[in-house]
Amino acid sequence: MLRKRALFMSLLSFSLFAGTVNAEDVLKVGVQAPITGSYANEGQGIENGVRLLAEQINAKGGVLGKKIEVITCDDQGTAMAAAICAKDLVNKGVKMVIGSYTSTCAEAAQKTYFKAGVLQTSDGTADSLTEKGYWTFLRNSFPNSAEAEFAAKYLVEVKKYQRIVVLSDFSTYADGLANATEEAIKKLGGNVVSRDKIKADSQNFTPVLTNIKSKKPDAIFFAGYYSDGGLLRAQQVALGIKADFYGGDANDNPDFVKLAGSAAKDAFIINVPEPAALPTPIAKSFIADYQAKYGEMPPSIWGLMNIDGMRAIIHAMEQNGDFDTKKAADYLHNMDKPLDGITGPIAFAKDGNRKGGAYVVKRIQEDGSYSNEYVQ
Amino acid sequence: MDIFLQQLANGLTIGSMFALVALGYTMVYGVMKLINFAHGDMVAASAFVGLTIYTHVMGQATSLFAVIAIFLLSAASMACVGIILERVAYRPLRTAPRLSAVVSALGASMIIQNGIMLIWGPRMRIFPELVPQVYWDFGGVVISLIQVIILILSLVLMVALYLFVEKTRMGAAIRASSIDQDAARLMGINVNNVIALIFIIGSSLGAVGGLFIGLYYRGITFNMGWQYGLYAFIAAIMGGIGNIPGAMLGGMLLGLFNAFISGYVSSTWADAFTFILLIVILIVRPTGILGERVAEKV
Repeated sequence: MLRKRALFMSLLSFSLFAGTVNAEDVLKVGVQAPITGSYANEGQGIENGVRLLAEQINAKGGVLGKKIEVITCDDQGTAMAAAICAKDLVNKGVKMVIGSYTSTCAEAAQKTYFKAGVLQTSDGTADSLTEKGYWTFLRNSFPNSAEAEFAAKYLVEVKKYQRIVVLSDFSTYADGLANATEEAIKKLGGNVVSRDKIKADSQNFTPVLTNIKSKKPDAIFFAGYYSDGGLLRAQQVALGIKADFYGGDANDNPDFVKLAGSAAKDAFIINVPEPAALPTPIAKSFIADYQAKYGEMPPSIWGLMNIDGMRAIIHAMEQNGDFDTKKAADYLHNMDKPLDGITGPIAFAKDGNRKGGAYVVKRIQEDGSYSNEYVQ
Repeated sequence: MDIFLQQLANGLTIGSMFALVALGYTMVYGVMKLINFAHGDMVAASAFVGLTIYTHVMGQATSLFAVIAIFLLSAASMACVGIILERVAYRPLRTAPRLSAVVSALGASMIIQNGIMLIWGPRMRIFPELVPQVYWDFGGVVISLIQVIILILSLVLMVALYLFVEKTRMGAAIRASSIDQDAARLMGINVNNVIALIFIIGSSLGAVGGLFIGLYYRGITFNMGWQYGLYAFIAAIMGGIGNIPGAMLGGMLLGLFNAFISGYVSSTWADAFTFILLIVILIVRPTGILGERVAEKV
């Protein structure tokens, strides 16, 4: 018994040592993403992308002579797990964290990274993420307010809908996007007949949709995630609600079409242009490498946005010649010339928002592919 | 009025799924006085088994024969899992204190849930459209073919179960075992067989419920068993746990209650109201709505 215990203790101490040895020789990059749970598809896309980029950089000699070590923490898409991940990654000594996919998780982890001086880059689009004044946070996507204004303009001025329903779940991202869209629609003189909320993952949306049906809408705008959006669309068609369905950016995932089944046809999705349509040579070569390594396309543009965030931070460190996170953030907040990114030019405003933003409205075809309905 | 009728149709559909799952809880409780917490996860597992049978055994065929085969094969597989579960997790603890069996049930639940995750992965899987998307519009109330199938098949299964328990000799053995296992044994009833039978029936009905969830909602995740298991458990308690017609009634009531609260009050509050209703029922009728005939629990 005693010997067993001694063996166990020595194994334990060995493994503890193994963790601390070489701490100074590598650049630790954290990935905080939903590897399991409803958004696992997106989370795994982020992790795969980060590992691929790290591999490519390491093959070229690393960053300023240091190899990148990727440490992943699964936040399961929940705020609670995200807060634990943040502490865990900080304790492991990461310099930057890529993720998370959802705004809720990014927000739950933000303060911990800020206090530790760890750079965080997320595709979370909730406006609140950049309203706290944390210099550590760099948004690699475009904020909700930009999408909301585009959506409102399209629904009210281009399509001239008379009775619009705005629907969301309770997450930071979805609620923020829906509120911003509702406000923007009203500002343009549009008529929002109902602003409803669903509980994410509850699957049974027919009671809410039945209520919506009685309002006789001609358009439904859903700010929320694809795992609910696909079901909503299917149940909307099943209930015979004739309104046009518009999904916000987080509905842009192949699973939306699979979930909605035959009802997916003629639903619309509002988002930035999709990965396959990205024109730059960097995008083409990275996506080709991704397909070669993992045998599938990146699940959506969100993973690539996160990769761009990581590339920008590493670029800043290389330009500064050291790994100081504050200096890297200062560099990124004051770039004169944007860096060429996979998802377009990357430059950050002083508040950590990514500059720019272009949106398209995509119509889902019978075979599940998209056709561009309207390009900004 | 059409809104009311639409919510009624929605509530009956979801309610019959709850009822099917609730039967598994209530039958096991009736005979063994044990809450089989793994039941919800068995329901989830059956949806995944059904999906695998569809893709690998049936070669993605969508004919009527294929659909029936998927139901039968899934129910048979889950019946086997149910028997194994009883042998491994519950039979060794039959004479142990009740708390040990409950902990064993919780453990089994985690093992099954994580087993699903390891076999089929953590991602949401999409169930095929096996039932054609046919809808009927009755003056604003839309009812789909799948809803009709779910409702009718659930009712048929429930009536068949009721007749089986009330009218056959095996049913009499089940009822006898639920009243007093020792006395039943003295009367020549093989209680082990009865318990195995209970698990076979409960798991198969749960399997049908799991396939309905897959067919109706399309998206299935490894952890969905928790949600449906909880609702079905509440339904079983509402109706009077251990009572078969009680589980059916409880499931239907819960489905309707949920639909009307979501529709007329707020979907945000549906869960809160569900638990308030449960508390009220337990205060007013601690044995559940149909739970008064304590002596004849099954």
